[in-house]
Amino acid sequence: MKRFIIAFIAAYVFIFVWGWLLNGVLLKDVYAQTPNLWRSQSEMMSLFHWILIGQALVIFAFVMIYASGFAGGGVIAGIRLGILLEIAAIGMRLAIYAIQPFPGKLIVYGSVSGLIEMVIVGAIVGAIYKPASARTP
Amino acid sequence: MNWKKFFTAFMAAFIFLFVFGFLWYGTLMRGAHEEVQALFRTKPDFPWLILGHIVMAFFFTMLCVRFVPAGGLGASATLGILVGLVYAGPHLISFAVQPLTTKILGGWIAGAVIQFAVAGAIVGAIYKPSSPATSRH
Repeated sequence: MKRFIIAFIAAYVFIFVWGWLLNGVLLKDVYAQTPNLWRSQSEMMSLFHWILIGQALVIFAFVMIYASGFAGGGVIAGIRLGILLEIAAIGMRLAIYAIQPFPGKLIVYGSVSGLIEMVIVGAIVGAIYKPASARTP
Repeated sequence: MNWKKFFTAFMAAFIFLFVFGFLWYGTLMRGAHEEVQALFRTKPDFPWLILGHIVMAFFFTMLCVRFVPAGGLGASATLGILVGLVYAGPHLISFAVQPLTTKILGGWIAGAVIQFAVAGAIVGAIYKPSSPATSRH
């Protein structure tokens, strides 16, 4: 349980910082091309807690999957889980692109960065979380 | 890996994900989507929609097969619920940055969890690895 919580916090801190750097800094100009699709800055700030809850949910469910199925595999198993989850998510992103008029490059940047993000999340979780049997000598 | 059963499970998952998506998001939630028409295309871009579902179904099936190597409806459905929660997180983030309604947010989250839980159950019911006894003879 202790390692579950540590893995959750470490991965959460990473995706928070990554998400801010990517969406708040690097892709700022791309988002600015479609202002009609986004809330105003002040509205986003008033709903910021939903971003925190959303990121927490992603990481909580990721660690749960890892802990109940991939545990014991270490960093490589964590990375494998991250890759499988993210490529399926790229499929979902393509389906969303089919119904929402996002710029194509936003989907490309989002997918590439999402893959890097989930590989690192998987590595963090795999490095920190160890199942009880693996810890017992 | 039993590739024949994998392919059957993938096809079944793809058909389910696509039909469920059409019924849930395209039919039941149509009214909710029409409340914020500016956020959606007038007509879905079908090639991207189909490709997205193929990618989603393939890698979700791969995840189920790796996560629940023995197959089984219950375990795969549980995995599907967790995967649905991983994908529900970005919906919460979308709600914070896009002018979506709470009705859409609730529908998307419920849709993701139900969709992947049932898809997991389908994959788990179809995919069974070759038993050692079978493969020896």
